[in-house]
Parts: sequence; structure tokens; C-alpha cells
Amino acid sequence: MPSEFGLFVSADPGKCSGCKACELACFQSHHVKRNKVGLTVGTVAVPVTPKLYVTVMETASMPIQCKHCENAPCKAVCKQFAISRADGVVIVDEKKCIGCKDCLMACPFGAVSLLPYFVDGRPVPQADSDEGKVAAAKCDLCFEDTAGPACVRACPNEALHLTDVDADRKRKNIAAAEALAVINAGVPERGLL
Amino acid sequence: MTIIAIDQNLCTGCKECSKVCPTLAIEGYPHQPQTIAESRCVMCGQCVQKCKSYVSVAEHGAEAYERVRSERGLPESVKEPLFAAYNVCRLNEVKAALADPDKFTLVQCAPAVRMAIAEDFGYPLGTLAAGKLAAALRRIGFNKVYDANFGADVTIMEEGSELIDRVTNKGLLPMFTSCCPAWVRYVETKHPDLRNHLSSTKSPQQIEGALMKTYGAKITKTPAEKIYVVSVMPCTCKQFESSRPEMSDSGGRDVDVVMTTRELAWLIKDLGIDFAALPDEGFDKPLGDYSGAAGIFGVTGGVMEAALRTGYELLTGEAIPAVDIAAVRGTDGFRTAEVPVGQLKLKVGIVTGLKNVEPVMEELKAGRLNDYHFIEVMTCPEGCVTGGGQPKLLVDLDLPEAYRARAAATYSHDKELPVRKSHENPSVKKLYDDFLKKPLGKESHKLLHTTYAGDPKHH
Repeated sequence: MPSEFGLFVSADPGKCSGCKACELACFQSHHVKRNKVGLTVGTVAVPVTPKLYVTVMETASMPIQCKHCENAPCKAVCKQFAISRADGVVIVDEKKCIGCKDCLMACPFGAVSLLPYFVDGRPVPQADSDEGKVAAAKCDLCFEDTAGPACVRACPNEALHLTDVDADRKRKNIAAAEALAVINAGVPERGLL
Repeated sequence: MTIIAIDQNLCTGCKECSKVCPTLAIEGYPHQPQTIAESRCVMCGQCVQKCKSYVSVAEHGAEAYERVRSERGLPESVKEPLFAAYNVCRLNEVKAALADPDKFTLVQCAPAVRMAIAEDFGYPLGTLAAGKLAAALRRIGFNKVYDANFGADVTIMEEGSELIDRVTNKGLLPMFTSCCPAWVRYVETKHPDLRNHLSSTKSPQQIEGALMKTYGAKITKTPAEKIYVVSVMPCTCKQFESSRPEMSDSGGRDVDVVMTTRELAWLIKDLGIDFAALPDEGFDKPLGDYSGAAGIFGVTGGVMEAALRTGYELLTGEAIPAVDIAAVRGTDGFRTAEVPVGQLKLKVGIVTGLKNVEPVMEELKAGRLNDYHFIEVMTCPEGCVTGGGQPKLLVDLDLPEAYRARAAATYSHDKELPVRKSHENPSVKKLYDDFLKKPLGKESHKLLHTTYAGDPKHH
């Protein structure tokens, strides 16, 4: 049965080393077609613009990425209708984005950033100037990649997982029910209540 | 001289590099910037390959990239990500030499460079590009495009003869290869008492350098002091090797400066050379002539195989029955083989990945390797094709395929070459006829052999 809620990538800070392999894998997978990025660092001619953000604290680290909210505030505030949600995935259309930052303000997790927007190895100019435009960048769950999110595969410490909270909840319900069934059976007076 | 460094402003302290460092030279607490203990670092550059902590627009700001690029002296045309762990770039010295009308610039490339450089121009992993490489170096403006592969063929003549000499005259055995400067550095710092096991034969880079400044000066009718030797290496440690005081037997430095495979790709792009449009050209004769045996120096087991192809014939006077020696191929950390050479059963070992060498050293010290004749050691995971100066993968999941494809390209290049044994390289024969006279001879001893640190006779 398909899950009720959208999936998202979550990280285990106990396993994450903060190495940024996820950021590079994310960038690589999203720029093969758009900016002719190949397999080696030398094939990159544009700034590295990932869609998740490794956050290093004093004693732990983990990447922060979009949770693909059911009632996505970024989508609600986007006046350009550049953010959509389909099949549980919240996606930014960079072409429509004007860099107004409303989505950055709305996101409670800081999962959205504004990053340089390059196509075919060149900065896309702003409508009325030669300056390069920036666009909202956030996780799109690698929806175009049948192998699933690149970050999850690339993590050397298996710290990232594609999380299905609905399935997790049902699993926890079953485990709790099984445990309670045993406990209740062993407490006779419970039957009298 | 700093070869490998970690930028304290960029390092996140993930310690992934310390997992690949073969000498545990990277120190620091988790989530804090790491430092390199130079006394232990062998400059292999595997940390440079591993590091993913890049200069980020989001984290370090829009100006940070240009600042780091200029601090490191990289060409302004470089646009690729820059990482916390890096090797010091000396491209400015290469450019200055090329622009100096008083310098006669000679260039050499290691075998593994041609198996990987095309990757940085978007070609599939392990695309052989020997012809384009030679053409690119010519377009860059080097006066002669020579090849470390020629030096590798000469290495085999000298090292093979040295092995036969040690075996027949009861010299110190097993003999270790000495092509890998990180391995040599490791022996000198960790096991100086075992240094006499190292072959006295210099590496292909240093042999080629010493020959370019002497024999090369003669045949190009150029005064040796005008000759400037540039190396292109898959290796970050080759710069260190070239700067060792022992490596100046031609009068001055035998090799003046080293760039990595990645840095050559930067230079090609910087000069606006269209790599895809380059024709296939050859390396200049005679110091760019090479056999298939030289070509396989770039993979683990390759030096051993090349030495056996020639050693067999030198000892028995007969050609080796099969040129391909499967027994020494593979990627296991330590593998051994027994190769019948006439009356002798030659016992050989191959170590790949420096972290695999310590148990072998313990065995040697315990006297359990006394019946071995020859052991090859390479520091990088699967030999020079996987070196610290090779094109760096964005995603490490692609590493196994890169390693496999580069090694496969190496063996197929060997197969397609008309000459597959070092001693059959006609330019090597001519070198000995006209200049060196014989392996281990007076001239060879002066130019092509060395001693190691800790030796009382060490100069």
C-alpha cells in the first residue's frame, strides 16, 4: 500500500561525519544534463550548488534537507507559483523563481537556499541586467532518477535514509501492540477492568 | 617544502581522509580542522582524492572561491570545486619556464597519465589518450615531448640487472622496487634499517630526467644548463622526489618541476587548447620511445611483470614463454608468485596500498621472507593509475569502475604496442650502445642509481 505521506531523506547525526559527499553527489546528479558535469571534478565549470546542506556542530553533524511538508509553507508563500507539490515531492521551478527569499523565510528548517543558477556552463542572466540570477535550491528527492536520491547512495557512513514516516508509524504501532498484548496477558486483573 | 596541505578554513573535521591515509599522518578531533604530521606523511595524496569539503557559495560566500584559487596560485581559468585537502600547485613555474626564451623545455609523462587525463575532459573513465596527450604537450609549447615510459624501460634494464646481480652474487634479498617515492619515503622514515633492500635504481621519472639533461643535451645539441625538465605525474609525491638533493646527478636538478595529471588538464584548458579536436600524435624519439612493458608500470604488478619479461631473457638467454604474466596481475593487497626462470624458481611478491605493507615488513624482520627475491610495493590503492594526482571522482561510488577501467586501458595499450619488452626497445639499445655502454656500468652508476637516507655514505 502506498504511504499516506510524502517521503523525505533524513540523516542520523550519530553516523554522519560531515564530509559533504552527499552535497557533491547531489550536485553531480543534478548537473549532468544541465551543465555537462561528468564523473570527475575536472569536468565541473560551474559553482557547486547542492540541494541539501551539511551542518556541522561542535560534536555532531548532519545534512539538512527538505522534508517535503504536506502543507509546504514555501509553496504557500511563493507568489510566482514556482514551487509545486506532486506525488509527495515539493519541487522548485528555477525558471520561474525571482529570488524573493519568501521561501527561505517560510521554511522552518532552513532547507532552502538561494544559489547561482547556471545552464550550459554559463550563469543565467537576470531579466534586466547581465548579472547572474540566483534561484531557490532545495531537495527534489532526485525525482528524475530511478535509482533514488543520490545523497543516500553516496554517503560513506550509511547515515542517510529515505524515510517513510507513515510506514515507520505503522511498524511502531505493530511492535507496541505486540508488546502490550504480552504484557496485558500476564496481568490477570487487567481483564477485570 | 610543503607538498600536501589541509586548509584550516575549509576542513570540517570529517576525518574521512584519515581513513585512507596509509601512515595515520592526519591528526585532529572530529568536527575540528585536521592537520598533517609531516614527519609521517608520505605525500601520496590519497587525502586529496578523498576530501569532499569544498569552497561553497552557500557556506563561505561568493568571494571565497576566487580568494582560495589565488592563494593556491591556480590559473584563473580554473572553475572546478576546490577542496580543503590539496597538493601545492607549481603551474606558475611551468608557465614561467615555457615563456623564458633562454630555456629549452623538455617534458615527460608517466604511464598512468594517458589512462586518465581524458576523464577531466568528459571522456569515459579509463579512456586511453596517449596520442592526444602528446599532441597537447606539443601545442603547449614544450620543445621536446619525451616520455617517462622510456625512462621506465631503462629502469627495467638497470633494476633487472641489479636483481640478477644480487641473486647470482649473493647480494641482499629480497630486493624492493624503488619507483614509488612515497614507499621510499616510508622505508626511510619508518624502517631505515631495511633501506638496503630497496633497489638502488632510480625511478623512471628521475632516470628520464637525468638522461634528458645529459644524453638529451647531446642529441639536441643544447647546453645542459639551458634544459628545463617538466614532469607530468599521476602522483603528488613526485614533486618531493624531484627535489631530493640526491636527484641532481646531471649537475643541477634532474627534474625541475612536476605537475599532476589534473594540473596538466588545467594548463590545457588555460591555454584554450581544444582537447577533443586534438589529433593523435607520437612522442618524440628517442627519449619518448617505449615498450608495452614500460606502459604497465602504472598498474600494481606492472613493474614486476616488466622486470620478469626482461630478466627472464637476460638470465636464460631465451624469450619468456608467455609475455602476459597472469600470476603477478590482480589487485589483492599482498600477492605472491613463483616464476620459473631457467634453473631458478624466482619468488616474487607484490604489495599494493601502503597500508598493506606493514605486515610484510614484520614478516621480513622475522626472517620469514628470506627466500623471496623481489618485491614490488606501490603506495596507492591499485598502483599509479589510482594516484593522488589523477583526476578526482566527484562521487566515490565511481572509484572501483575508474580503477578497473584505467587498469584495463593500461593492459590493452601494452597489447597493441609493437615492442612489449624493455630490452627490445630500439632506442634503449641505442642509448646503451652510444652513451651508457652497459647496465650497471660507470655512467649508469653515476646517473641512474642512488642511495637512501640513513646510509653513512649518503651525500
